Amino acid sequence: MKTLDPLAGPIAPGVLSKTEQELRTAFLEEIDRIPGGARLNQCIQCGTCTASCPVSHAMDVTPRQVIAMFRAGAIEELLESRTIWLCASCYHCTLRCPAQIHITDLIYALKRIAIEEGIFPARFPVHVMSETFTKNVKRYGRNYEVGLLLRYFLRTKPLGLFAQRRAGYALWRHGRIKLRPDKIKDIDQLRKIIAKAETFDLPQEKVTSEKVTAAVGYESIGR
Amino acid sequence: MADNGEPRVGVYVCHCGFNIAATVDVEAVRDEAATRPNVVVARDYQFMCSNAGQDLIKQDIDELGVNRVVVAACSPLMHEPTFRAAAEEADLNPYLVQIANIREQCAWVHDDRQAATLKAESLVNGAAARVALHEPLDPMYAEMNPATLVVGGGIAGIQAALSISDAGNDVYLVERKSTIGGMMAKFDKTFPTLDCAACILTPKMVSADRRDNLHLMTMCEVESVEGFVGNFTVKVRQKARFVTDACTSCGECLNVCPVNVPDPFNEYVSTRHAIHKAFPQAIPSTYVIEKQGSPPCMEACPIHQNAAGYVALIADGRFEEAAKLIRKRNPLPFVCGRVCYHPCETACSRGKVDDPVAIRGLKRLAMDWERENVADPEPPPAKHDYTEKVAVIGSGPAGLTCAFDLAQEGYQVTVFERHHKLGGMLAVGLPDYRCPPEIVERDLDYIRKTGVEFQTEVELGKDFKLADLLGNEPGFGFGAVFMALGAHRGLPLRVPGEDAEGVILGIDYLREINLGRPQPTGKKVAVIGGGNTAMDVARTARRQGAEVAILYRRTADEMPADLEEVEGAIAEGVKFDYLVSPLEVVLENGRVTGLKCITNELGEPDESGRARPVPIAGSEHVRKFDMVIPSVSQQPFRTWYKGGIPEKGQIGFTKWDTLIVEPDSLQTGVPGVFGGGDVVLGPASIVEAMGQGRRAAEAIDKYLQGKPLEDFTTHVAPPDPVRGFVKAPYEHGPTYDQIEKMPRARLEARDPRARLADYETVDFGLTEEQGIREASRCLHCGVCVECQSCQNICPPDAVRLDMKDEIVELEVGQILVATGFKSFDATRMTPYGYGRYDNVITSAEFERMLNSTGPTGGQILCKNGKPPRSVAIVHCVGSRDENYNRYCSRVCCMAALKFAHLVKDRTDAELYEFYIDMRAFGKGYEEFYLRVLDEGANVIRGKVVEVTPAKDHNGDGGHLMVRAEDTLIGRFREIPVDMVVLMGAIEPQPDADKVGRVFSLSRSPDGFFLERHPKLDPIGTTTDGVYVAGCAQGPKDIPDTVAQAQAAAADILGMIAKGEVIIEPVRATVQEHLCGGCKTCLSLCPYTAITFAEDGNNAVVNQALCKGCGTCVAACPAAAITGAGFTDEQILAELDGILSPLAQEVAT
Repeated sequence: MKTLDPLAGPIAPGVLSKTEQELRTAFLEEIDRIPGGARLNQCIQCGTCTASCPVSHAMDVTPRQVIAMFRAGAIEELLESRTIWLCASCYHCTLRCPAQIHITDLIYALKRIAIEEGIFPARFPVHVMSETFTKNVKRYGRNYEVGLLLRYFLRTKPLGLFAQRRAGYALWRHGRIKLRPDKIKDIDQLRKIIAKAETFDLPQEKVTSEKVTAAVGYESIGR
Repeated sequence: MADNGEPRVGVYVCHCGFNIAATVDVEAVRDEAATRPNVVVARDYQFMCSNAGQDLIKQDIDELGVNRVVVAACSPLMHEPTFRAAAEEADLNPYLVQIANIREQCAWVHDDRQAATLKAESLVNGAAARVALHEPLDPMYAEMNPATLVVGGGIAGIQAALSISDAGNDVYLVERKSTIGGMMAKFDKTFPTLDCAACILTPKMVSADRRDNLHLMTMCEVESVEGFVGNFTVKVRQKARFVTDACTSCGECLNVCPVNVPDPFNEYVSTRHAIHKAFPQAIPSTYVIEKQGSPPCMEACPIHQNAAGYVALIADGRFEEAAKLIRKRNPLPFVCGRVCYHPCETACSRGKVDDPVAIRGLKRLAMDWERENVADPEPPPAKHDYTEKVAVIGSGPAGLTCAFDLAQEGYQVTVFERHHKLGGMLAVGLPDYRCPPEIVERDLDYIRKTGVEFQTEVELGKDFKLADLLGNEPGFGFGAVFMALGAHRGLPLRVPGEDAEGVILGIDYLREINLGRPQPTGKKVAVIGGGNTAMDVARTARRQGAEVAILYRRTADEMPADLEEVEGAIAEGVKFDYLVSPLEVVLENGRVTGLKCITNELGEPDESGRARPVPIAGSEHVRKFDMVIPSVSQQPFRTWYKGGIPEKGQIGFTKWDTLIVEPDSLQTGVPGVFGGGDVVLGPASIVEAMGQGRRAAEAIDKYLQGKPLEDFTTHVAPPDPVRGFVKAPYEHGPTYDQIEKMPRARLEARDPRARLADYETVDFGLTEEQGIREASRCLHCGVCVECQSCQNICPPDAVRLDMKDEIVELEVGQILVATGFKSFDATRMTPYGYGRYDNVITSAEFERMLNSTGPTGGQILCKNGKPPRSVAIVHCVGSRDENYNRYCSRVCCMAALKFAHLVKDRTDAELYEFYIDMRAFGKGYEEFYLRVLDEGANVIRGKVVEVTPAKDHNGDGGHLMVRAEDTLIGRFREIPVDMVVLMGAIEPQPDADKVGRVFSLSRSPDGFFLERHPKLDPIGTTTDGVYVAGCAQGPKDIPDTVAQAQAAAADILGMIAKGEVIIEPVRATVQEHLCGGCKTCLSLCPYTAITFAEDGNNAVVNQALCKGCGTCVAACPAAAITGAGFTDEQILAELDGILSPLAQEVAT
C-alpha cells in the first residue's frame, strides 16, 4: 500500500493542508453565491450528469467525478483538469440531476477560482478564450471574433494564426467575421447591469434539509 | 356422485401460465395420463388454482363420478390445501387428492422440453396409480393450550408477549439475562427518527412487568421441549439470581461489593460490581449477583474458607470485615494464617498468570490487624441451647474445630487433652518458630468464649475409658464422642542399631523440645526423611546448635515438604543429601558414631507416582554422625483400646492403626463415637484435620437430633486441588495471558543467623500497604467471591448466596423463538486492528459510548479522554465478505449514518463513512442519508483495507490511518483519524445450533433460524406451533423486528382462537401382531413419536407427534409399520406408474 501515492486529503485527523483549506474555502464561498449551491452535499454519485454531458467523452474528469474529487479534497487537481474548460454550458446535467444539483454553475464556480488562483491545465489554454470572451462582452456588449482569435492565438500559440489564416480569410470573405468590433446599442446599460450584479452578496443558503426534516419530523420527536 | 367402489381417477394438468407450459408439453402429459388405468378423464388448464380450474374438478366429480383426483401443478406446499378444499366442497374426501409437482420438479429445473415432459408424465402416472389405492382419511384434532412461551426478552419477544397477553392469554417470557430489553436497551438513539431507544422501549418493558398474565422469567434458559403444537411441555432452567424479590433496588450493596469486573452491558469497556443491575431501568429491577461457581481457592479448602472473599475485602482496605469473614468458617485463623499448607494457593488461578496470591500471608495480616485494632472479638451467640454433652478427645485442629462448631450449634462440649498444653500437634508437633504458642493461645481464647471446656493432662485409656464417656457416671454422660487423637507415634527406620542412645524419632524429639523437657541434641545430626516433620526437626536441631544433614532417598523434586520450609532449612544451614538411604546405625560403645548408607538412583514410578529409589550395588558407605533422628512417618497410638463397648459395637482399625470410620459421617463402629483428623487420615495437614472436625460436628449434630446420618452439607475438598479455572478467571473475563503480570508479595524473613538464636517466628507479616497491593492481585474467580458484604448490609435481607438453579416445567400450546443475534467478533478482521489499537471500537461499544448511562455518560471520547478530531466509520465489517458472512446485515448502513449524525451533533470532529453500497431502503431512510450528507459527513465508497497507527506531518503520533480505495474516483485514499468505529455484522447466536435442536428448528446456510417460507410465511417454522421473529431469523432493524413479532403474535392468537389444532392423518401405525419388539424404529424417529409398550412388547406411535416422514416404515424389518397414505401397495403402485413411460421409452 505504501508505494501508492494517496490523493490529497487531511494531513492529520481533522486537519487539511493550507492549500486545500484555502481552495476549499474559496470554492464554498463561490457555492454560497449560487442559489441552491449547497445541494452539492446531496450528490449520490449516480452519474446522470456524465451520461447527459455531450462533451464528457473528451473530459479527463467526468462531471460526476468533479463532485467526488471535490469531496476527496482534490481541488487543485480539479483546477488542473480540462473538464471545467470543456464544459459547453448546455445545462443538460443540471436539468436532469435527480438531486437537483446545479452542476453547470459549480463548474463556473471552479472556473472563477481557477482564474483567481491562476491554476490551469497544462497545454490546454482554453481558459484564455474564456477570459478574452468575457472581456470582449464587457467592452462591446457582444463577441468580437477577430479580436478573440488574435488575442487567443497570440497569447497561446502565435504560429497557430498562420495555420488558421485560410479559414479566417474564408470567413471574412463570406461576411461571417468582421475586422472591426461592433458595439451594441446602449452599452452603458449592460455595464450598469454587470456592475450592479457584482455588488450582490447573496446570503448563504441552507435549503435542503428542511424538506427532509418536514417529511420525517425528527425535531418534533426530539432526542 | 357415482361410487361403486371402483376408482375413477381424474387428472388435471396445469399450465401455470408459462411456468409449466413453456418447458413441459402439457397436452402430451394429459394425453398420456388419459391412457392410464382407472383414469376416466384427463384435462389441461391454464391455471388450475383459479376458481374456474377448481370448478373443473368439482364438475367432474359431480358429473363423471370422479372419485380420485390428481392435480399436476406446483408444489403441494402451495396449493394442496386449495385442491383438497375443492374436493371437499364436492363431497370427496380430501385425502383422495394427490398432487404431482411438475413445476418445481420438472419445468423449473430442466431446459430440455422432451425430457421434462417425460418426467412430468412419469410423475403424473405415478400419482394416478397411487391415488387409485388411497383410502379416505379423517383429520385428527388436539386441544390448543392457550398459554404461549416466548423465548428471548428483546424487543421482538416483549412486543409479541404484550400482544398475546393483551388478548387475555398467559405468556411466559423467558430471557437468559437478568433483564429484558435485549440489544435495544443498549442503544441510545434509533434511526431514522432519532428517537431515544430507552424512551420507546422502557414503557413496553414496564408494561410487560405489570401484567398478571405475562410471566417474566429472567435468568432462565429453556432446557428441553417435548410434545407437539397445542401441547408442549417445556423445561426451563431458572438460574440462581442470589437476590430475592424482596430487593428494593436501593443500591446499598453497590457500596460494599469489593469486586469489579468488566461490564458486559457496556461491552466490557467499563466495570461493574459482582452484585449489580444491568442498567437503571432494568426489568425486573431486582439486583443480581454474578456468580459462576465458587472460586477455586474456596473449593480447594477443606473448611471451605472463602479466601477470595477476605482477599477482596483486604484489597478494599477493609481488614476488620476480612477478619470477621475469616472467623465465620475458621476457628483457628491465627494458626492457619501462619502454618496452613494453603491448598488455596495451590488452586489459585493467579498461578496461571504468574504466582498465586499470598493468601496465607493475607489471612495472617487480617488477623494481626484484628489483634491490634479490635479489643475483644466475641463469637456469635450459639444458635440453640441444647443440654446434650459432647466429648472431644484431643485438642488438635480436628478436635478444636469440632468443639467450636458444636458449641456454636449450642451443645455442651468438653475437650480432653493428655498434655498440659492444648493444641495437639500445633503445640507438640510444630516448632515454636513456625507456630508460636501465643498464636495458638489466641485462637484458644476465642474458642473458650464459645463455652467449650478443656480438661488437660487426662489421657484416654489411662485416666478414663471410652465407655466411661458414654456412661452416666458423674462428670461423664456424653451423648457423643469425637475421637481426634492424632498420629503421634513416630515410625522407626527398621534398620539395625536403631534402639541405641543417640537415636530418637523426629516426632518425639519435637514433642520433648516443645514441652520444654530436657532433650540433648548431638553435634552432628542426621535427619532421615523429606517431609515437613523432617524439616521441623532439622531446623529445631540447628537452633539447638547442631550441624544438621537431611538424608532423603529420592531427589529434591520428589520431596513432599513445603517449598518454603525447605528454603528456610537451606537458609539456616541445613545440608541436604539426596538419593541416600540408611542401612544401619553405626555404634561404638552403645553410642551412635555414624550411619551406614547406600546411594540410590531413580527407577520406575511407584504407586504414589514418584520415581522409586533403587539402591546402587556396592555404593555402601559410612557417614559420621553422633545423633540420628528418623522422621519418616507417623501413626496413631492404639494402646488405649482395650476392646469395644459391650452391646454397642467395636472400633475397627486399619493396618496403619488408623480408625475405620464411615466415609460420610465419620462414625466409628460404635454409634455416637466419631473419629477424625490424623487418627483417621494418618499424618495429614492442619486444615484437612479441621475439615474432618467440621464434618464430624455436622454428623454429631444430626446424631444427637435423631436425624439420619446423610445429606451432609459441609464441604469436602478434592484430594488434589485443581489450579484455577481453565482459560480465564470467569466467563467473558480477560484470559490469563491477557492479564498483566505483578510480582507476588514476599514475607520479609529475619536474618537466618539471628533466627538460629531463638524460636521466634522466622518471617514478618505483610504491612497494610503490601497486603492491599497483594490482595489486588486476586482475579475474582467466578466473579462473586462470597465475601457476604452485600448479605450483611442488605436492608430488606434479600441476598441469598446459597440460592440454587431450579428447573421449572411449563405447559404451553405455542412457542415463539426470538433469541436475537450476536455482534461480529471484530478481532477476526485483524487488518482493522480491533483489540490492538485503543481507539478502534465496535459499533456495539460506540452505542454504549453514546448512551447517557454508558461508560462515558454519552460523550464521544478517545481512550485518552479527549474528544476525537476525526472519526472513521467502517461499514460491512464481517458482512458481504465470503471469509466471514456472505449476507448483508441490513442495519449497519443506517446505524452508521445515525452514528455520523451523532458525531456531527456532539463533537466538532470530521467524519468519514467508508461504505461499499449505501443501503437506505426503509421509510424515511434515504431522507436520513441525505440529511447526514447535508450535515457534512464525508462518504467514501470503498472498503477499508487496513487501519494502522500513524504519525502526522509534525511527527505527532497516537492517531490512526485508514486506507481504502475511493472507488468513485478510482483513487487510493489515506485518511488520518483519531477513532475508528467498526460496523460489525449481525451473526446468529453462538448457541443457535443448540437452541435449534431444543425447538426442532432448521437453520439456513447463514446460520439463522429457517422460516417456513421466505416470502409467504416468514414467521412460521417447519415445526408446527413454533415461530421465529427478530434477528434470530435474520438480520433486521427494529421496525421490521416489531412487525415480525406482531405477525407472529397474530398467528399465535389465531391458533388460540381456533381452540384446537388439526393434525394431518398421514401417520404411521404399528400393526401390533407383526411387531417383533426390536426397537429399531425408536431410535430412528426424528420426532421421538415412537415409544415402547413393555406390556405388549411392541412399538407404539404417538399419532400427535408423528409427522408421517416414513422413516420407521422403511426401517421396520418385520414390515409391521405402515404409514396411512404411505402403504407399501400405494408406494409400489406409484413406482410402477412413474416407471411406465420410461419403460415405453426404453422399449422404443
